[in-house]
Amino acid sequence: MRRKESVLWSRAYRLLCWYPKEWRARYGDEFMELLVADLEERAHSLHRSLDIARGGLIARSASAGLGGQPLDPDDAPRRSLVAIGGALSIFVVFALAMWVQLTIGWQWSPPNTVGTSLAMFVMSAAIVAVGALLLAASVPIMWSVGRNLSRGRAGQLLPPLLLSVGGIAVLVVGTHHFANGWPGTGGHAWGRQGIVPGGVAAYAWASTLFVTSYWAHPDALGGFPAAEVAFMVVSPLAFATTLVGLAKVVRRLDLSPRVLRYEKRLTVAATVAMAAFFTGAGMWVFDGGPGPRNLFHIGAIDLIDLVAIALALVVAALAVRRVGAAAGQLSPG
Amino acid sequence: MPRSKPAKTAPPKADRGFSGFGRYAGPATLILSSLAEGPKHGYALTKDIERFADVRLAPGTLYEALSRLEGQGLIEAVQSDDRRRPYKLTAVGAEALRGHLDAQRRIADVGLRRLAGTWGPA
Repeated sequence: MRRKESVLWSRAYRLLCWYPKEWRARYGDEFMELLVADLEERAHSLHRSLDIARGGLIARSASAGLGGQPLDPDDAPRRSLVAIGGALSIFVVFALAMWVQLTIGWQWSPPNTVGTSLAMFVMSAAIVAVGALLLAASVPIMWSVGRNLSRGRAGQLLPPLLLSVGGIAVLVVGTHHFANGWPGTGGHAWGRQGIVPGGVAAYAWASTLFVTSYWAHPDALGGFPAAEVAFMVVSPLAFATTLVGLAKVVRRLDLSPRVLRYEKRLTVAATVAMAAFFTGAGMWVFDGGPGPRNLFHIGAIDLIDLVAIALALVVAALAVRRVGAAAGQLSPG
Repeated sequence: MPRSKPAKTAPPKADRGFSGFGRYAGPATLILSSLAEGPKHGYALTKDIERFADVRLAPGTLYEALSRLEGQGLIEAVQSDDRRRPYKLTAVGAEALRGHLDAQRRIADVGLRRLAGTWGPA
């Protein structure tokens, strides 16, 4: 009897884990009671599991500042910044993976259609803009980290900071190593005929090796060097670790209203740049020309990239609206 | 019995209290109707709604609606030592429910009248 009860509680607890920490702190106890009673009546229900998963994801979106529900006004801007940062990071990964194919193609031969050429220029400009904006956004954040650390908040900030530094280190070392094997021109006489320097393209290619349709073809993947496959597995984990660490750092920082307003302006600009990239990528996909020697052909992975970029764009746009509303309520700093 | 009467300065539109509920308007109506009888915790709400509406609200849907209703001030949690926290209707919630049900009744009346006119009485 006691064993059955404990099984029910552990099942209820697993279902509760769909919800964010703050939600669990508020509703956790009563929700567990309801779940246990429900599990006693209906041991197995796919509808219940799906309903809880959906509810948990909605609660997590709301907690990230993406839902329609009001957030704690003190915390809202930071949450929205984290949501935008997450969306921007996802965008950067999939955008780089898409863009790098064009850069590789162009190293060998320019595209033979106006659509693909124009797409390449738009996507490249958008990538440069997003990179510059990320750099500009990180300066006051790093300054705030330094100031918070000097005020004795190392205990709170150092663990997530070290987590993200560890993730970045794995990404940098792996990218540097595998960039040597990129399928560009290498030392070929035709090298550097693209509009993007080969080195930049090589690093972008190596850092996004895991965004590939080879996952759907394990036999072909088996022919890859073991170290490369290992990096393809480890790099998304390192990427996630970096993201989680940075999100925790930003959530724990004391950011002045002035910094928040500055970040708000940058996030608006970054969202516009994301939209520009999406437009460029769409032009390439719809232009669809395989180009000379099939260098610019569209694959299934590009459509997946495009969907991921669209989702990131939607999340960023929602969060920008929230951070704008939250920053608008801040007193001048 | 509410302790204070809601302010009459801005008479609420029929569904003012249900604005922004979207797909949760249905569960919200059921929950508020159940709480109109008195405070109830989550499981008691589920069972009561199942009894009077023949609808079983899944736990995720129930708590999504409860948190929205609480956020809009239509219901509030009752202090309790029990882990199963009960909820009660607020005066604003009672007013919103009344307005919503009145609007639903007007729609139902029109529909039934037109049905009777065209298709004959039931």
